Amino acid sequence: MDCCGGIEEHDDDCVEVKVKDSIDEGTVAAAKALESENYSAGFSTEIETEYAPKGLSPDIVKFISDKKGEPEWLLEWRMNAYERWLTMEEPDWAMVRYAKIDYQDIYYYAAPKAGAKYESIDDVPKEILETYEKLGIPLREAEVLLGVEGAAETAIEARTENDRPKVAVDAVFDSVSVATTFREELKKAGVIFMSISEAVHEHPELVKKYLGTVVPQSDNYFATLNSAVFSDGTFVYVPPGVRCPMELSTYFRMNAENTGQFERTLIVADKGSYVSYLEGCTAPMRDENQLHAAVVELVALEDAEIKYSTVQNWWPGDENGKGGIYNFVTKRGDCRGARSKISWTQVETGSAVTWKYPSCVLRGDDSVGEFYSIAVTNGRQMADTGTKMIHLGKRTRSRIISKGISAGKSDNTYRGLVSVNKKADQARNFTQCDSLLIGDRCGAHTVPYVENRRADAQLEHEATTTKLSDDQLFYVRQRGIGEEEAVALLVNGFVREVLQELPMEFAVEAQSLLKVSLEGSVG
Amino acid sequence: MALSVSDLKDKFRNPGAAELELIARYAMLPESGQRERAFEAFASTGLPHRRMEAWKWTDFKANLKSVEASSRGAQCAPLPAADQAVIEFSAGSVSLPTSLPNGVKLHERKDAQALGDAEEVPLGAMTAALAGRVGGLDTLIIEVTETATTPLHIVAKGDRDETNFTRVSVIVRPGAHLDLVESHVGGAGFSSFLIEIGMQDGGSFNRTVLQHGSADEAQAITAVVNLGDKSEYTQTALAFGAKVARLETRLTHQESGSHAELNGAYLCAKGFHADFTSHVRHGAPSSVTRQVTKGAVLDGGTGVFQGKFHVPRTIGQHTDADMQHQALLLEDGAEVFAKPELEIYADDVECAHGNTSGALDPNQLFYMRQRGIPEAQARALLTEAFIAEALETAHESVRDALTDAARSFLMESVR
Repeated sequence: MDCCGGIEEHDDDCVEVKVKDSIDEGTVAAAKALESENYSAGFSTEIETEYAPKGLSPDIVKFISDKKGEPEWLLEWRMNAYERWLTMEEPDWAMVRYAKIDYQDIYYYAAPKAGAKYESIDDVPKEILETYEKLGIPLREAEVLLGVEGAAETAIEARTENDRPKVAVDAVFDSVSVATTFREELKKAGVIFMSISEAVHEHPELVKKYLGTVVPQSDNYFATLNSAVFSDGTFVYVPPGVRCPMELSTYFRMNAENTGQFERTLIVADKGSYVSYLEGCTAPMRDENQLHAAVVELVALEDAEIKYSTVQNWWPGDENGKGGIYNFVTKRGDCRGARSKISWTQVETGSAVTWKYPSCVLRGDDSVGEFYSIAVTNGRQMADTGTKMIHLGKRTRSRIISKGISAGKSDNTYRGLVSVNKKADQARNFTQCDSLLIGDRCGAHTVPYVENRRADAQLEHEATTTKLSDDQLFYVRQRGIGEEEAVALLVNGFVREVLQELPMEFAVEAQSLLKVSLEGSVG
Repeated sequence: MALSVSDLKDKFRNPGAAELELIARYAMLPESGQRERAFEAFASTGLPHRRMEAWKWTDFKANLKSVEASSRGAQCAPLPAADQAVIEFSAGSVSLPTSLPNGVKLHERKDAQALGDAEEVPLGAMTAALAGRVGGLDTLIIEVTETATTPLHIVAKGDRDETNFTRVSVIVRPGAHLDLVESHVGGAGFSSFLIEIGMQDGGSFNRTVLQHGSADEAQAITAVVNLGDKSEYTQTALAFGAKVARLETRLTHQESGSHAELNGAYLCAKGFHADFTSHVRHGAPSSVTRQVTKGAVLDGGTGVFQGKFHVPRTIGQHTDADMQHQALLLEDGAEVFAKPELEIYADDVECAHGNTSGALDPNQLFYMRQRGIPEAQARALLTEAFIAEALETAHESVRDALTDAARSFLMESVR
C-alpha cells in the first residue's frame, strides 16, 4: 500500500484487541454496534445504469455538462477548474494512509438508465424507491406532495401532523437527484429546494451569484476536482425573513461500482431567515475503494441562521480494511452578514478514510460559528476531521466540541484551526476535544492550530473534561449534579444534547451513540 | 569521492543565496561520511520554510535571504557563573575553562559524529554538517560521571560574525547529575547550536537556557535528548527571540520510569519572533512528562508554540503527560500561534493539553491600579507573575538572573 501522511503503520498480526477495565461497557457496545459487519446499508440495487466513459478528460467534463444541459458559463467554470486541477498536488498532511487513487480508473458520471428526471414520484423506478425505503428514508412522504392521503394544506399543518416534524428530502442516487419532496409546500413559503442541476436552469441568477463564492474553484485538490466534475447535489434558498417550515434533507446514495460521487450543495439563507438541513449518506459494500469528493457551501446573510447536520455512514470497508469510501469533502459556511450564525453538527461513523473539516468564515460582525462532532472509527478506518473557525468580524464567537472514539485498529484525528484576524475585535473561542481509545490497537490524535492576532481575543482550548472553570463546576456540583452531567451542562451544547436534536428517523446509528460515555478519556 | 559544489547544489530544491553560501562552507570542510549524511539530511529540505508543516509559523528561508554578518554584537550579558566553569563558543573557536565541576570531563572530537533522526531536525542536521572546522574542533563531548555539585556554563556568542555553528554532546553516566546553564546571546547573523544529551540509568540533568538575539539575526537551538531508565531531565528556557528564533527539543523516553520537565517562557518585542517547539516520544512504559510554556508578546512581535506528545502502541502504556501553553497578547499587533498536538496509540494513558491566549485580566489590573500602581507598571508586574511559573525549575544559581532579565524587559517595554 502506498502511504500518504505520517501515521504509524498498524501491525497486521491477528492480535486480539484488549479493552481496559475503566471503559464504560455501554460505550464499548455502542462502538461495536457500528462495526462493519453490522452495516445495514451495504446492499446494492440492481438497476440499469448509464455511465460516462471511465477516466477524466476535458471530454468527460463536457459530457457531464452536456448531460445536464448546462449553460456555457458553467461549462467554462468547470473547464477552468479542470485546468487548475491538473497543476495541483494531492495533499498528504492528514494522518491517514490509503492506496494511491488512480483518477483515470473512476467513472465520473453514473445515472439510472431510465432517465434522470422524473415528473412525479410515481415515475421514479421502483428499484430506487425500494432502495430508499430499505434505508428508512421517508421518500414516500412525497405522497403529500402528490395530493393523496390527507395532504397538508399549510406548512404549519405539515409540521404538526403526527406530532413529528415533516422532513423534505432530496434523494441523490449516484450522479443524479431522483426526487425532491415537499417542493410545492416549500414554494408557498418561498423556499427554493431542488437539485442543483435544476437550479442552474430555474434560478441561474442565484446559482451564478453564490456558486464558488465560499469554496473557490482553486481551494484545494479535491474541491477543484469537484468543481470540474460535480454531478448533482442540492440547492436551497431561503428568502429574507422566512423560517423554513420544515427540516430539509438530502440523502446521498452511492450505488454503481467504480464510480466517484461528486455532489455539490449550496445553501443560501437570506437576511433574517432560518433553515435546518440534514444530510445522510450510505453506500453498498464493495471490495474496491470509492471516492466521494463533495463540496458544500453555506451562505448566511444578516441575522440568518443555518443549522447543518450530517450523519455520515458511507461503507467503511470490512474489518481488514478492504473496500470502503474515501470521503474527501470540503464543507464551508460563510457568515457573510452581521449577527448570522452557522452551526455544523456531524456524526461520523462511516467511510474507510475521512478527510473533512466543516468550517465557518465569521465575516459579519457578531456572527457565530459552532461545530459539534462525534466521530467513531472501527476496523481499519481512518478519520482526520475537525473544523476551522476563521474570525474576521468584530465580536465574533465560535465554539468547538469534538468527541473522537477509536476502536479496533482504527485511527481518529481531530484537526482544527482557530484563527483570529487583526480586525476581529473581542473574538472568542472555546474548544473542547476529547478522545477515547477502545482497546490497545487503535490511535487517537489531536492537532489543534490556534492563530491569535488580537490582544482582546479570548481563546481557550481544553482537552480534558475536568478542565472547565473550577468555580462553575463547584457551583453546579454543590447542587447535587454529578460531575459528568455538570460538565455537560456547563459546556452548553454537549454533543449528547446535540445528538438528541437530530431528526432520528435518519440516524439509528446516532441513537446508539447516545449511550456513549467518555469516561476513561486519554486526553 | 568528494562531491563538487554543483553536485551538492543538485541535492537542494531551488537553493537560495543563503543555501548556496552554506554549500560553499560545507565544500571547504574535511571529507567525512558522517558529515555527508548530515548534510544530505539538511539538503532534503534546505532551510526550513513555511510550506513545511512543522515550520509553518517559523520560516528560516524567508528570513535568511543570505548569510550576513550581524550589525550588532551580543544582546545581553551571559547568565552569571560564580566559579568560572564557562565554555565559550564564538564564531569558529572555543575557549575551555581551566577548572571544571567535579565529575565533568571534556573530550574534543575533531571528526564528525553521527546524528540520529537527522531528517527530523533540519537545522540540527545542518549544524552537524557545518559545526566542524579544518584541523579544529568538531564536537565537544561533555561526560558526567558523578554528581557535579556546581553548574557548568556554556556561552554562545558572536562578535558581529556571519555564523556561529556549534555542536555539543553530553553523556550522563548512571546516577550522575549535571546542571548546565546556556547563554545564547546573539551577535552572529546566523547561529545554530546543536546539543545531544544521553541520559543513562538513574542520571539527572538540569538545563537552563537564556536566548537573546537581535532583530537582524536568525537563531536555532536544537536539543536531542534520550532518557534512560528512571532518569530525570529538567529544562527551563527564557527566550527573547530574534528576527527568527527556534528552540527545539526532541526528547525520547527510551526506558521506563523516566521523568521529563520542559518549561519555557518567551517575551517578544516588535520585530522579534520566538518559537518553542518540542516533540516528546514516550517510547517506554510509565514515563512522565510535564510541560508548561508561557509567553507574552508586544505589538509587532510573534510567539510560536508547537508541542507534540507521541505515545506509541504497547510500549507507551501508562504514560502520564501534561502540556500547557498560555500566552498573553499585551498589545494589538501581537501574534501568537500555537499547536499543542497529541498522537496516541496506547489506551491506558493520561495525556492532557491546554492552550489559552488572550489579554491580561482587567479585574487584576483594576485592583492594582486602585492601589496606586501606574498602569504600565501594573501590566509589567502581572505579566512577570504570569510567566514566573515557567521559570521556577531554572537552576537556583541563575533563577534570579533569569527573572531579572524578564523583569527589566517588561519594565522597559510594557506600556
